[in-house]
Amino acid sequence: MKFAIALFAPPHAPSSRRALRFAQAALAGGHEIVRLFFYQDGVHSAASNPVCPQDELDLSGEWREFVRDQGLDAVVCIAAALRRGVLDAQEAERYQRSAVNLQAPWELSGLGQLHEATQLADRLICFGGP
Amino acid sequence: MATLHVLSHSPFTDSRLSSCLRLLGPDDGLLLCGDATYALQPGSAQCLALELMPATISLFALDEDLAARALKTPTRVQVVDYPGFVELSCRFAKVNSWL
Repeated sequence: MKFAIALFAPPHAPSSRRALRFAQAALAGGHEIVRLFFYQDGVHSAASNPVCPQDELDLSGEWREFVRDQGLDAVVCIAAALRRGVLDAQEAERYQRSAVNLQAPWELSGLGQLHEATQLADRLICFGGP
Repeated sequence: MATLHVLSHSPFTDSRLSSCLRLLGPDDGLLLCGDATYALQPGSAQCLALELMPATISLFALDEDLAARALKTPTRVQVVDYPGFVELSCRFAKVNSWL
């Protein structure tokens, strides 16, 4: 089964953890994830600057490791990211901002990527809210 | 086409659960996760409403969220873990998350 997974919640929301555990279970069960799409406050999970206290679950870090280790296609909505100050090197240069806080394995792209993912996948699973 | 409805908001703070109950089709499923598992609080109107659903509608709850809230599960609730969640999303033709 091919899954597309969309995440709307920030990394401190339980639904972000739920999305990650679902994605891990899907791959462990032999399924395929055609794309992860991070939208709205979900873009904060891709930001590289936040520092998590040592005794708390570093969900952004877990997402980054998961995406990198599994070689997944992880798209961050560019419009949602820019308005929340999540910029890759190209966008930081374009808008002349001093900081870059989005790096590989994440990729900034448009909502069309979510639409395409739903066409490619058998199931779209959305995670958001609490 | 059977749909799995996924709820994560507490039924004591908004009307998602009651809206969802009105929309459920005869073969649909309902998965409670996060604070939505509070709907299983014994004696609550929400728990009674779930018990009164037609028998063809399957009711599921995520195990870790039940454990975190020390909720006892009524007999009609099927407890699932994450691999179980994945299996449900394959079994139902669509998954509708009440964001």
